[in-house]
Amino acid sequence: MKRFLIWIRVLLSTAIACLVIFAYSPAVFAFCGFYVSQADASLFNKASQVVIARDGKRTVLTMANDYQGDIKDFALVVPVPVLLKKEQVRIGEQKIIDRLDSFSAPRLVEYFDSDPCARYEAYDRAASVGITRSAAPATESKARRDNYQVTIEAKFAVGEYDILILSAKDSDGLESWLIDNDYKIPQGAKELLQPYIRQNMKFFVAKVNIAELSKTGSQSLRPLMMAYESPKFMLPIRLGMLNANGDQDLLVYILSPKGQAEVANYRTIKVPSDTDIPVYVKNEFGDFYKSMFKTSYNKEGRKVAFLEYAWDMSSCDPCSSEPLSQEELRKAGVFWQDSPSSIQPSGRRIRPIPTNNGRVFITRLHIRYNRDKFPEDLTFKETSNQESFQGRYVLRHAFTGATTCDAGKEYQRSLRPRFEKEAQTLSSLTGWNIADIRRKMNISSLPDPVEVPFWENLWK
Amino acid sequence: MVNQKAMQSLKLPFTLPRSLSRFFTFSITPFKDARDYQILFLSVFLLLGVSTRDWSLKPIAIALTFATCWLTQICMVSIFPTLHKHERWLSLKSATITALGLSLLLRSDSYGAIACASFLAIASKFIFRTNGKHWFNPANFGIVMVLLLDNYVWNNHAWVSNGQWGEDSLYALIFLGLGGIVLKKVGRWDTSFMFLAAYSILEGLRNVWLGWTWDVLAHRLTSGSLLLFALFMITDPRSIPNAKIARLIWAVAIAVLAFIFRNVFFNADAMFYALFLISPLTVLCDRLWNAPRFQWLPKRYSALRSAQT
Repeated sequence: MKRFLIWIRVLLSTAIACLVIFAYSPAVFAFCGFYVSQADASLFNKASQVVIARDGKRTVLTMANDYQGDIKDFALVVPVPVLLKKEQVRIGEQKIIDRLDSFSAPRLVEYFDSDPCARYEAYDRAASVGITRSAAPATESKARRDNYQVTIEAKFAVGEYDILILSAKDSDGLESWLIDNDYKIPQGAKELLQPYIRQNMKFFVAKVNIAELSKTGSQSLRPLMMAYESPKFMLPIRLGMLNANGDQDLLVYILSPKGQAEVANYRTIKVPSDTDIPVYVKNEFGDFYKSMFKTSYNKEGRKVAFLEYAWDMSSCDPCSSEPLSQEELRKAGVFWQDSPSSIQPSGRRIRPIPTNNGRVFITRLHIRYNRDKFPEDLTFKETSNQESFQGRYVLRHAFTGATTCDAGKEYQRSLRPRFEKEAQTLSSLTGWNIADIRRKMNISSLPDPVEVPFWENLWK
Repeated sequence: MVNQKAMQSLKLPFTLPRSLSRFFTFSITPFKDARDYQILFLSVFLLLGVSTRDWSLKPIAIALTFATCWLTQICMVSIFPTLHKHERWLSLKSATITALGLSLLLRSDSYGAIACASFLAIASKFIFRTNGKHWFNPANFGIVMVLLLDNYVWNNHAWVSNGQWGEDSLYALIFLGLGGIVLKKVGRWDTSFMFLAAYSILEGLRNVWLGWTWDVLAHRLTSGSLLLFALFMITDPRSIPNAKIARLIWAVAIAVLAFIFRNVFFNADAMFYALFLISPLTVLCDRLWNAPRFQWLPKRYSALRSAQT
């Protein structure tokens, strides 16, 4: 009896512990009634895009530049782990980033139901969601100082940018130096520059050379690429939080020969995928995705990174755009394609690099960061996870022809519950009002599934 | 004799034959062995991870881990007969804990890597021994070996997801609470506490020096993976130094090495490598500071049992 009581006591306390957990996370279980307000249309407008091609310690980082304000006011300040020389900095192509975006974007696919009375099949592929980007504005301030303690380690021009690599001893000095040299950086940068200075990081500072820009003939600024070798695999997002109070979107495309990459210091979860949604969403896919993303994000407490795509770049299924060619991958920063199994020295040590046959694996991470839930800079981690994942949403068009056979009638009866289920899925994914969804789907026009009494078949 | 009495006091309608009663001896006294608690709590964590943290459950992978661990344990125990007969079956509990640890920590999309890790984990207990004591934490050994193979030899398809628990105060509480129960049973609270204290101080100092705000520090320290490591991995009482003072020094050494790996070499799996490298020092510690080795079941208990069989 005593032992029985011991068992009960232990199991009961464990059960209570479990209950506490589930009580703490109501969002998970309030699925059916969890309504969120409509996603703001400008939600994705502030998304920055970064491509990181990494193998071991070697990194090629590409930053898309979507500054929309006056070009004269443009100033880019990025902490980089090592000193960069002119040969390590290049101008990239926005087209390549757009190609990566469309290749890995969450995709909508549609299927057409076959004639239940006949036998044929056809399916098509449809749109994918593109992300628009825009600028981070900068504010002005003036100050004067004599001794900045800032060293200009390198100064060069690449394309339309005038670039300086700075190292600083003190964040006060650095901030004053930047302001006095007409780099428009926001107020309060000093506290955020300090940790980077202490970590011995250098500052990549870029301004636009108007004369060079007019030579290129384009009005928009091109991406910057930098190649370096460093054990740090991170993105300094804290600096980017300076002038934004709310959430900011960041899309990171990590290209790796090993496999998937994930965020090492925050949870990485997959976006909801492989769900059937109502057909009318075809015209509203952008809104749908924005809402769905926001819902998932809030449900997770706004502190996770989302994996939207992870795939070997040599294939895709279904393809939302053509796979990138070798040349395009090279332009994106992939540097391991030419020498798949060569042994290259790194520092004083020589170690064989695992053969990867020039494989490129893409991971698309969508991180919506904010000051309160993302206090640390993002650190990434390569893994040899080669599982594929994609954000894929399925439309199933009902067969619209005549269905007079028995199977056809069965099919017609099955449509209403199926549409109802799709509506419920849509509502729970996006938080949209179920009544609106039903109205848009026109569910009420469908025949009600009338239960045929079983004896009718028997005694016709 | 004790056997028969215990059976009767459970008020079973029959008495078990002696041959069968051997299998029921351990279940008569549930939760006297601290491993029972550990198995229960680690299972709870696994369920938690799968249900609330969105892990993809791979039943075959988990089953493979358990099967390989058990089989290896049985084989090894037969080849290296150091335990009494009745203790051999009980040693499967240790194998179960190793299997649970591997399922919680090691992620893989290849069954070969999982089997390899499980096999190496259990085998290390029997290969790396001094004076009858194994010095590597089996789960840690398995994970580190497979990670090293993955990084430096071939694409082993095995990795550790450091962010899999997130940084949530709720999980911190759960781990601390349940971990605390187990640590109280085995009397190894001091090791965990010392490790966490030393690591927190080092990270705190770094935070102050860099000039980050305190929420950055809080974020780094409430990582579920860190707590799970501190409460369950470095406190395996059979492989850490026996004497208290030795354990404290050992825990501080691991904290320092983990800190260095994480912040100087920027290795995300710092803790596992730190424990792996410090483990062989257990032998040295035991030589310098003498103390009796930890036993899962009290000595008089196992003596009584051996008197019966």
